[in-house]
Formats: sequence, C-alpha cells, structure tokens
Amino acid sequence: MDESIKRTMQRLVRRIPNQLLKPTLDKWGRLTAAQKQSLDFTQPKWALTERLLALCEENEWTAKHIIELEMIYVIDNPNQGMWYAFQLMDPEDDAASVELAQFKEQFKSHLRELVKHVSVKIKKHTDEAVWIRIAWGDGFTRPNHLKPTYVVHHLQTPYVFVSSLTSKQKPLLSQALVLSTRYNVIKDANLSGRKLTAIRDLLMRQYQQVFPTKFPSPLTEKNETVSNPCIEKEQSGAAANRLQMACEAFGDGELPQLQSAVYKLETKFKDPTNKTMTEQEEPFKCVIKFASTNLLESLKQCATSGIASTPVTPLLSSIPLKGRNYFVITDNGPGPTTQMHTSQK
Amino acid sequence: MEIRARSRKVQPHQRGRVKQLEAEAEELRLQRKRLKAENQTLETLKKLRTSMNKQCTDEEVMQMEEDSEDSQLLQLMARHTQLTDLLQAHHLIGGYDIIKTRQGKGVCVSVATNYEGVYLDTYNLEIDLKPKLRISRHNIPPFIPLNSLTEQCNLQSHFRVFLDTLSCHLNAFTGRKQQLKLVKEQQKSVEVMESNVLCSLLVLMLTVSKGKPLVLCTLEYADHTSCLPTRVHFECEDKQLPDSPEWKKNCSLLIKTPVHKALMTMKTMGHIV
Repeated sequence: MDESIKRTMQRLVRRIPNQLLKPTLDKWGRLTAAQKQSLDFTQPKWALTERLLALCEENEWTAKHIIELEMIYVIDNPNQGMWYAFQLMDPEDDAASVELAQFKEQFKSHLRELVKHVSVKIKKHTDEAVWIRIAWGDGFTRPNHLKPTYVVHHLQTPYVFVSSLTSKQKPLLSQALVLSTRYNVIKDANLSGRKLTAIRDLLMRQYQQVFPTKFPSPLTEKNETVSNPCIEKEQSGAAANRLQMACEAFGDGELPQLQSAVYKLETKFKDPTNKTMTEQEEPFKCVIKFASTNLLESLKQCATSGIASTPVTPLLSSIPLKGRNYFVITDNGPGPTTQMHTSQK
Repeated sequence: MEIRARSRKVQPHQRGRVKQLEAEAEELRLQRKRLKAENQTLETLKKLRTSMNKQCTDEEVMQMEEDSEDSQLLQLMARHTQLTDLLQAHHLIGGYDIIKTRQGKGVCVSVATNYEGVYLDTYNLEIDLKPKLRISRHNIPPFIPLNSLTEQCNLQSHFRVFLDTLSCHLNAFTGRKQQLKLVKEQQKSVEVMESNVLCSLLVLMLTVSKGKPLVLCTLEYADHTSCLPTRVHFECEDKQLPDSPEWKKNCSLLIKTPVHKALMTMKTMGHIV
C-alpha cells in the first residue's frame, strides 16, 4: 500500500477522539458488518489504528476513501483549528444565480489551471454550506494530504471561511474563488476564531439581535438581590437601561463565541503631563488584545454590570456590528481613541 | 277484529315516531339555549368592545361584568378581537412599525413577513437620520442585496419605495423558505436534493410509482421578489415522460401554484406517490 495513504490514515485516526471514532466510521460506511464487529473500541488508540491500517490494506482503500472519512469528521466537528473570514465584493450580474454543479466545475478547473498538482474535493452539507477540501502540491510534488486547506462557502452569500491556508496558497485560492463565484474582488474580512459556527453566525446575522421596538421583548434580567427596596427601586431603572443598551450592542440569547479582539493603535500619544511622549512626531504604536472564551458575552456583561460605560463605545460594538475582530486605529480612524481607556479592564 | 288488529300493529310504530319527535324537540330546545347563550356572549363582547373603544377605565368594565363568572375570559376575548382588528387596519394602510430612537436622531423600522396568513420572521433596520439617511444596524441576511436596493430605490428621497421593495424581497424569501419547510413536512415521498440559502433554487426527486424511473424536478426562482418559480424543468430516464400531456400540466401547475400545494395536487391526481 502507498506509504502516504497509510500516513494520512494514521494521522486522521489519531486526530479523531475515541468516543467519536465509532459514529464517524459508521457514517463513512466503508466497513463491512463483520469488519465493524471485529473492531474493539475499548482498545487503546494505537491498537485500533493498527487494526484500521490492516483493514485499509485488506479493502484496498485509496486516498479518495480516506479523504471521504476526513471530510465527514471535519464537517461534523467544524469548531477546530483557526478559521478566517473573507468577503467577496463587487458581484457580476449573474452572481446571484450561481448553482452548485456550475460552481464545482468552475472552481476545480480554475484552480487546476493555476496549480499543476492539486486535489480538490467538494461536498455539499445539509445546512446548504459547500465544503471544499484542497490538498496542495506544486510543479514537482504530489498533493500533500496531511495539510489540507478547508474552505466553506454558502452560495449566494458574499462570505468565505477558510482554515489552514498559507500565504503562498492564498492568491491561488482567491483567484479560483473570485472567478467561480462571479465576483470581482475578495478581501480579508478581519474576523477569525476557533469556532466556524460563531464567525458564520456573526456574519450571516444568525444570532439574536435586539432592536429598540415599541413593545420591548421581555429581556431576562439577572439582577443581584438588593436588600434595601428603596435602593432597588432607584437602581432598577438604570440597570434595565444598561441591560437594554448592552443587548442592543451585543445581542441576546446565545452569542457567537469569539475568542479575541485585537486593536492595533497607530495614534499619537496624548497626555498633557507627559511632554516627551506627547511631542513625539511618530505615532505611539501598540496592540491591545481582549481575550476570553466567549468575548462578546464578557463584553456584554461588562456593559450590563456597569464596568464599561453605556452606550457602549463604538470600538466595542463594532465587533458584532461590522462582524470584525481585528481593527487598526489611526488618528482619523473610526471612533475617538480616548474612549478606549474608559472601557479597558 | 281486523281493524283492531291493524291499529295494534300501527300503534308501536306511532309510539316510536312520537319518541323520535320528542327527542328532536329536546335537541332543538338545547340548540336554542346554546344559541341564546352564544348570542348573549357576543352581545357582551360587543358592549365590552364599545366601552374599550371609548377608552373607559378598566374599573367600569369590571363593575359591569362582575356578576358574570367568565368576565375575565370575556375581557380577554374582547381585547383579542380589538387587537386583531387594529393589526389588520395597520397592515391595510401598509404600515411599518417605526419608532424614534436616540431622542429623535434615528429611527428603528420593523418589517414583518408573513406567508399564507402566518407571521414569519421580523426584520429590523436602525437608521440614522442626520446628516443623511444611513442604515447603521440591521439583521437582514447577507444574501438579500440591501446595498443595491438602497441605491436602486434612492433611500434619501424615496424611503417608502425602499421599504416596500425590501419588504417585497423579504416576504418572498421567507415565503419560499416556508414552502420548502412545508414540502419537507408534508411530502415524505419527495426528496429535496438541493436548495440554497436564498431558496432560489430547488431540486426535488419525485417518485411516479414503484418500479418506474424517478423524475428530477428543478425549480428556479430567478425573480427574487416572488414566491413562484420562473422556470420548471423535469428530467427523467423515460425521455417521453416530460413531454406527456400529464406532465406538461404538472409543469404549468408548478409555475402557477406554490410548490407544496402543487405537489399535493399532483399526489391527489396520482401523478406522484
């Protein structure tokens, strides 16, 4: 058997957690009933891997079969690795009518024109997402199945989500995508995270946003118990107002889970007490990074509890509003930079 | 003797008839009672409605109805009819829910969508009024061409036209989505092979009957402001089938009626399983 197939299989099995191995193999459906019976899932991983490699040889599975298994696993567990969002811009007139078969064919042929050795597999998922797996090679080497790039695109939307893409491959993928989706430009959407579902929900506006309406929906309040009823009465109005503002800025219900937001400041240092720094010609460059397991929820809590001032500064509310978590701030850039300090924790 | 014998024979028959009539009378009496009660409820409702419309204080209404044990229920019913009437009136005049935000510096518009009398999603737009109209925040999905709509309809001068066009797009989209949902729910034998987020393309696998080749039906909705397809296409191993008069009829049916209804008709006609 081909050594590379063996290595790919080995790596893949190692990646799949023990409890997911059985359901993933079942979904794949390449094992006969008897072979399935012969697998003992209580065995340690290395023993299982050995057994699967033996079966691989026995059934003469090719790279195609292993790729199938990998795609099943990745599609069912999309919240792994780092995902980057890209935005397609300037659509042609026929962009809205691109359909799957046409897209598949176009994408493959455009990419093959650019790269000699490339393996492309496209699969449509049940939620209307098109999943593309690309194993890259070059003029001399065969496609490397150990480091594939994954691309997720919903046809008729201007967004593309990409994981494991090198800077060398980026222009190639961009060109193939632009041509096959009938757009003219693709640009970095400045949004990334570990959870594909989160960045997708944020950009596709599939989370619960809150708007000021005449009949406000009852927002669930989690007020701490205040012993004095007078204080409670006095503060409940302000608290409800803060909650409403926080919900309008970040949303309600389950918020998309982002892990970080980065602000690159390229602004002049302003502090009347520090003359040497203020008189510097060059901007004072620094990077501010907010990190949390669920950043939007944390920021919302800050605004609700009063740690951050309301109305929420545009610097923070821009994350869900613009669907970005990377910002470069210059002196004539978006939002007054001084507000940053008030909201810093 | 003979007459007596005959009358004896008739008597049980007559007795049966009397009983039957009595039961009927009793039933009618019950019905009268029911109708009277119903009528009374309606009368009270009417009174309640009038008093509500006159904006009487709640107390007065309560006093009037204190004797009735169902007063609370009646009140709720009256309130319900009042609200439905208001809602209908609101939609009759083509109303959007618009409220002022940030002390009049902006507005928030809600566009409700419905299909076949069922309310579906509501979409919102927050709009800055100064220095010029600008959409600052919204929850409209990215596949609705919001930017090109603002340009096409000229948001600045024709705000109403913009809202109507947007509402048209949103209603058509949610309508198509609802149709797809209904097809999936109602037609277990129809397999949805392909669809997209905009619901502008639908490929269905239809079963004519067991053993016969399957029919692949493609529906294209090129007009994104409509719930009906612009093109219907059949594909089948049996090349003659799409040209048969039955399937030609099915084709025009699918063009003219929403897909879930068309499939239902095709099923009753026996064209599909």
